[in-house]
Amino acid sequence: MTETPAIRSRIKHLLVDALHLEGLAPSAIADDAPLFGEGLGLDSVDALELVVALEKEFAIRIQSHEVGKEAFVSVSALAAFIEGRLATAGNARAGS
Amino acid sequence: MPGADPGPVRARAVAVTGLGAVSPLGWGLGSLWDGLRSGRTAIGRFDRFDHSGHRTHIAAQVDLAAEPARLRGKPLRLSLADRFAVAAAREAVAQATIDVDRCRERTGVYFGTSTGGMLETEAYLEALFTAMSGRGRPPAASLLASQQNNGPGDAVARDLGIGGPVQTVSAACASGAMAIGDAVRAVRRGEVDVAIAGGSDSLCRLTYAGFNALRAVDERPCRPFRGNRAGLSLGEGAGALILEPLGRVLARGARPLALATGEAASCDAHHMTSPHPEGFGAAEAIRGALADARLDPSEIDFVNAHGTGTPLNDAAECMALVTVFGDRAPDLPVTSTKALVGHLLGSAGALEAVATILCLLNREVHPMPDDGASDPGIRLRLVLGRPLRLARARHALSTSLAFGGANAALVFTRHGDRNPGR
Amino acid sequence: MEIGTLDAETVITGLGTIGPCGHGREPLAAALVAGKAVVAEVNRGAGLHREGGARLAALVGERDVSRWVAPADARRMSFPSKLAVAAARMALAEAGIDVTEAGGPRTGVYLSTTFGTSLFTERLLRQILLEGAEAAQPFYFSECVANAPAAQLAIAIGARGPNVTLTQRESGPLLAVARGAQAVREGCVDRAFAGTVEELTPLLHALLDRFGALARADGALAEMPRPFDRRRDGFLAGEGATLLVLEREDAARARGARVLARVGWSGAAFDATASVSDWGDGQAPLAAALRAGLDLVPDGAAGVAAIVSGASGTRRGDRLEARVLRAAWGEIPLPPVLVPKAVVGEYGGGILTSGLLALEGAPFGPTPGFAEPDPEVGVAPHAGGALQIPSRVLLTGLASGGAAGWLVLERVS
Repeated sequence: MTETPAIRSRIKHLLVDALHLEGLAPSAIADDAPLFGEGLGLDSVDALELVVALEKEFAIRIQSHEVGKEAFVSVSALAAFIEGRLATAGNARAGS
Repeated sequence: MPGADPGPVRARAVAVTGLGAVSPLGWGLGSLWDGLRSGRTAIGRFDRFDHSGHRTHIAAQVDLAAEPARLRGKPLRLSLADRFAVAAAREAVAQATIDVDRCRERTGVYFGTSTGGMLETEAYLEALFTAMSGRGRPPAASLLASQQNNGPGDAVARDLGIGGPVQTVSAACASGAMAIGDAVRAVRRGEVDVAIAGGSDSLCRLTYAGFNALRAVDERPCRPFRGNRAGLSLGEGAGALILEPLGRVLARGARPLALATGEAASCDAHHMTSPHPEGFGAAEAIRGALADARLDPSEIDFVNAHGTGTPLNDAAECMALVTVFGDRAPDLPVTSTKALVGHLLGSAGALEAVATILCLLNREVHPMPDDGASDPGIRLRLVLGRPLRLARARHALSTSLAFGGANAALVFTRHGDRNPGR
Repeated sequence: MEIGTLDAETVITGLGTIGPCGHGREPLAAALVAGKAVVAEVNRGAGLHREGGARLAALVGERDVSRWVAPADARRMSFPSKLAVAAARMALAEAGIDVTEAGGPRTGVYLSTTFGTSLFTERLLRQILLEGAEAAQPFYFSECVANAPAAQLAIAIGARGPNVTLTQRESGPLLAVARGAQAVREGCVDRAFAGTVEELTPLLHALLDRFGALARADGALAEMPRPFDRRRDGFLAGEGATLLVLEREDAARARGARVLARVGWSGAAFDATASVSDWGDGQAPLAAALRAGLDLVPDGAAGVAAIVSGASGTRRGDRLEARVLRAAWGEIPLPPVLVPKAVVGEYGGGILTSGLLALEGAPFGPTPGFAEPDPEVGVAPHAGGALQIPSRVLLTGLASGGAAGWLVLERVS
C-alpha cells in the first residue's frame, strides 16, 4: 500500500504545475481546503485539466462521471480516491 | 449609385433565394430534407480519421463516395471543408438562378468556419514530425495551401468568380450564423446585390480530441434537451444561402424562398467553455434578432435551437428561451438539427439556417429521435419521433451559442403563402 | 462600398499595441524613422526548418504584459489572448475610458487573426498526433479557437455586444476595423474594440518558409523583405497585437475625448484569379473597386496625401498592389507610399499604428530593403525625408488567396 502523504504531496505539485498556479507553493495548499468554487477557486476546466494530469501522473483512468465530484473536493479526498484506484489496479494485476 | 435603394437601410427586406447543403444526410437539399423528416440520426460509425485512441468513436460524417462531379479546372488544392463549401454554394446559386457573370462585383461571400483545413494540416504535420524523427521524407509544401480559416469562403469566391467583398468569420460554433447575419446587413446596406452566406467545417482530430478532453462528447448519439443527455456529437458539412434585396428579386422575376428578417449577435463575456448558466447572452441575442425582425416573441412559430446535447448548454439555452418566450415556452415547438447531423461547429449555424427554412417552406418542424427520458427541467415542446405539422408557419428562430461565449440568432419568415416545393 | 452618409461618423479614440518594436506606438514610430527592419533570429532548435531557408522574424521581444493582465487572470490564456487583453486595456487607457465602464451590451469586439492561437494549437496537435488523443489538454483546447483572444477580451472588459473574429489573412486588420466602424456607425454598438492579433511560433515560421513565402538569404543578398524591389523574394513574418477603440464622433466629443482619427471610406473586393495562397492578376477589377471608393472621398484620389501600403516584399503581392494603386490613381501621380511591413513585418497590425502615425505627421525614414526599382512594378516606396501632414491616408491590405481590403483614415481638427 502506497503512503498517502507522498500521494498528497504529488497531487499538490501537480495542482501548481498543471494549473499554472504561479506564486503558490505546493506546501501552502492545505490537505482539506476546498479546491473548487471557494478555497483555491478552481473551475470546470481546471478539473478536466487536472484529470488529464492525474491520469498521466498515476497511470490511472478517471471516468467522466467521477470528475468534479466527491473525490475532487480536496487534496485529501483526491489522495484517497487515487489510492483506491491504484490498489484496484494492483489487485487486478496480482490476480491475473 | 448602383444598387442603392431609397429609404432607410434597415427597411430594405432581404430575401433568401437559394439554399445549398452538404451534410451527413447527403449531398444536396433533397437528401438533407428527407433525412431531417425521417428523424433518424446520421451519427454513428465514421472513418474520417483513426479514432481508436480517442475516448469516443462515433460522429456524423459526410459520405465522400457520394460527392457529385469533381470541380472543373486545375487542381485547386482544396481541403475537405473547401469542397463542402463549394458544393453547397453552387447548389444555392443554381437554385437562386443567379447569373454571377452579370453581377460579379456586386456579389459578396460571407462564410464561417471553425477549423478550415485543419484535417489536412494534421496529415501534413504528422508526416512532417515523422520525417523529422528520421522516418520518411517531408511532405510536399503544396499540401499546406488551403489550411487557414479563410479557405472555404475563398474557395467559394474563386469557384464562382466573385469580385465583391469576401470575408470569413471564425467564431467557433456561431461562425455560420454570424456569417449569415453579416450578409443580411451587407445586403440591407447596399454593399452587395447578392450575398452568398454560409459555413463549412470538416471533422478533424483537433476538435474531436479537444471536445473529448473537455469530456463534452457523448459516447452515444447526442440527445439534445433530453434527461439523459451526456454530451455533443461532432459532425461535418456545409450550408449556404443566397441573400438578395427583395425588391431586386421580384424585379428579376425570381422567387423568394423566405425572408431573412432578423439577426443579432452578443457575447456572454462569462467563461471560455461554459455558457452563462442563465443564458443571459443567448437571451440577448434572441431578443435582438426579434427586435431586428420587428416581431413579438409570440409570433415565432418554432425554434431550431443550438441544442448540442451537453447538460450545460441545453439547460442554459432552455432558460434563455423561457426568459424570452415566457408563458409560451412550453408550447413553442423546439427542435435541434444536431440530433440528426451532429454539431457542425463553424457550419452549424448555416446548415441549421437551411434546415429552418426548409421547415418553414414545408410547414413542418423536423423531429429529433424519440429516445431516452425527458428532463423535467426542460419544459419546451420538443419535436420528437415524427415531423410536427404547423398550423401556422410564418416565422422561425434559429440560435447558435458558441465556445467562448459568442451568441447569434437569426429569424426567417415565409414569403407569401405559396409553397414552392423543393 | 459605403453608402451610409447619413449614419454617425466613427472615430478612433485609443490605440494599444504590442509588437516587435515594443509596447505602445513610440517604439514603432522610432523604428519607422530609423528605417530598419526589427528582426530577431527564430529558434530553429526543433529541426523543422529547411536548410537555406529564412532565419529571421519580427518577434515580440518584451513578452511580459503583467502590467496589463494580472498573472492570476492570465494563467490559462494563450499569448495571443494576453496580447489582445493587454492591447485593449492600453487603448482604453489612452481613450480615457474607465475600465469599469468600458463593457456592457453596447460594446463590441472585432478582431482579425490569420493563425489564431498558434502555440497552443501546435502543442495540442503534438499531443494528439505524437502522444495520443487522450493526452490532449483541456487548457489548450479551450484556447484553440480563432476567437479565443476576442472571447478573452470580452471577458476581461465585460464586452457583451457582438464578438466577431475575422480570418482573412493580410486584409484582416483593415476589414476588422471597417466592420467595427460600421457597427458603431449603424448604431449596433456604441463602442468597438477593433484590430488584430497574431502569434508567430518557430513551427509556423518553418512552415511559411517551406511554402516559399518568406524572404531568405540568397548568395550575396542578405535576408530581408524588399517591398517593390526587383530582387524581392518574400515577406518578413511578424507578430503582435494592435487594438483601436472606436466610438461615435459626437459621443467622443461630448465626453471630451481626444480624437486620433476619423474612420473614412472602407472597401473590400476579391480577385478570383488568385490561387489558394498567392496573389493573382486581377488588378483591373480591384483597381475599379478602389477607384470607385476613392471617388466617394472628397477630392478623390488626389485627396489622399499618403498611402500606407500593405506591401510586404512578396513577388506577386507587391506587383498586384503596385498595379492596383497605379490604375486607381490613373493620371494623377501616386502620393508617398509608406511601407511599414518592411520594418515590422507581416501580421500584428503595424499598419494600423502606422496609419495613425502618418496622420499625426510623424516622420518616416527610408523604406528598408528597397534599392532597385522593378520596372514590372513601377512603384518606389518612400525614401525618407519630409512628408506633408496628410488630411487623409489610405491603408491597403491585399490578401493572399484573393481578398482585398482598403481603409481611409482622416485627420480631425
